[in-house]
Amino acid sequence: MEPILTIRDLTKSFGTHKVLQGVDLDVHAGDVVSLIGASGSGKTTLLRCVDLLEQFDAGEIRLDGELMGYRLKDGRRLRLSGRELARQRSRMGMVFQSYNLFPHLTALRNVMLGLTKVRRLPASEARGIAEYWLDRVGLANRRDYYPSAISGGQQQRVAIARALAMEPRLLLLDEVTSALDPELVQEVLLTIRSLAEAGTTMLIVTHEMRFARQVSTRTVFMDHGAIVEEGDPAIILGKPNSRRLREFLSSMSN
Amino acid sequence: MQSFLDVLALSSDQLLHGLTITVAVSGVAVAAGIVLGALFGLALTYGSAVLAFPVRVIVDVVRGTPVLVLILACFYMPAGIGLSPGPLTAGALALTVFCASHIGETLRGALLAIPLAQTDAASAIGLTFAQTLGYVLVPQAIRQIAPNLVNTAVEIVKASSLLSAIGVGELLLTTQEIIGRSFKTMEFYALAGGIYLAINLLIATGGSWLERRYRLR
Repeated sequence: MEPILTIRDLTKSFGTHKVLQGVDLDVHAGDVVSLIGASGSGKTTLLRCVDLLEQFDAGEIRLDGELMGYRLKDGRRLRLSGRELARQRSRMGMVFQSYNLFPHLTALRNVMLGLTKVRRLPASEARGIAEYWLDRVGLANRRDYYPSAISGGQQQRVAIARALAMEPRLLLLDEVTSALDPELVQEVLLTIRSLAEAGTTMLIVTHEMRFARQVSTRTVFMDHGAIVEEGDPAIILGKPNSRRLREFLSSMSN
Repeated sequence: MQSFLDVLALSSDQLLHGLTITVAVSGVAVAAGIVLGALFGLALTYGSAVLAFPVRVIVDVVRGTPVLVLILACFYMPAGIGLSPGPLTAGALALTVFCASHIGETLRGALLAIPLAQTDAASAIGLTFAQTLGYVLVPQAIRQIAPNLVNTAVEIVKASSLLSAIGVGELLLTTQEIIGRSFKTMEFYALAGGIYLAINLLIATGGSWLERRYRLR
């Protein structure tokens, strides 16, 4: 079966600092891939490149075979127009560390915005879909609340509903529990676990090793902008091959 | 000698006409100034250098010049290129540009203060840049600058009294004409001051009602 997402030889630098040094990764339908590594290892940059929020220097990203962010003309890469980038982005969902809900809209309106403006659904239909997804993340009774009136965990669940309502081929999650108070982490992880059980394809940057082990079908360890080790989470987290992964795991457990 | 009330009764139509001019010219200047100011703000924040630079020059010149000088310039300078706007047109133009420059600069500040993460989140659900502006950034910026908008409107109403200098028959000039005939100096200046105060209290009240209603929660 063709993978949903293929990343080939992706490189990116910020100035002279190489953040990604030739990353290759495949994500198949139903995969839940957890991306782990020390801060600065390039996990978040990789995720932002996939969602076309960051430009990359070389290599390619394909979603369902379609080249993302660029088209090729006479062997040269040309950046797509804003409108085409927007269309490609609408096929993926992204959830951010700091939720990034729109503060001037209620939970329901946050979820509806993409449905009415990007997918151009009539308001009544968009409302129905938004209500369904808010219900799915357990927030049916918070739909008319503004983001500032609900907890961080609830805001993050609204952000997940906002991403899923667009029916993305792939959901990208960027350290979605890192900004949460410890007692709110679990509700968000439970939400993600239920999505995984429902077959949602996800690429998850996380620091929650136990969660990575329990939920993901594959774990990828990155260090200094490259993938060092990947495989079944129970195996690579239980018996890491590389010294760097062993060091990283012991630094996490301290 | 006529009493104040006698003079007031005789000149009430004239006074009302002056008041109408004041309200109309301020209203036009604020409305047109908001539209033009929004364009200024967007050009300053997101425009290319070719677009942003001339707007920056206009905004800085206008904000660094006394309103009276601006009014006189709008009245006398067009003659240089063969135009002769009437005092009302010239005055309305001066107040509009004054209003737009303040709003443009305020809007720029408010747009820049919105975290980049908001743009990321809007992009991530597939909004284009124009949609991000229209549905995410500008609505937040407007809520942020609402108190400034009210302030600017009040400033415009007060500045409209300067149009008397180029012969626009607004509230202040009308008042001065009535004083010239009746010598009721204190009474009519007090009356004019009271009317300006009333207009501005009305604006401030309406503004804070709007702010409460659309507050950024």
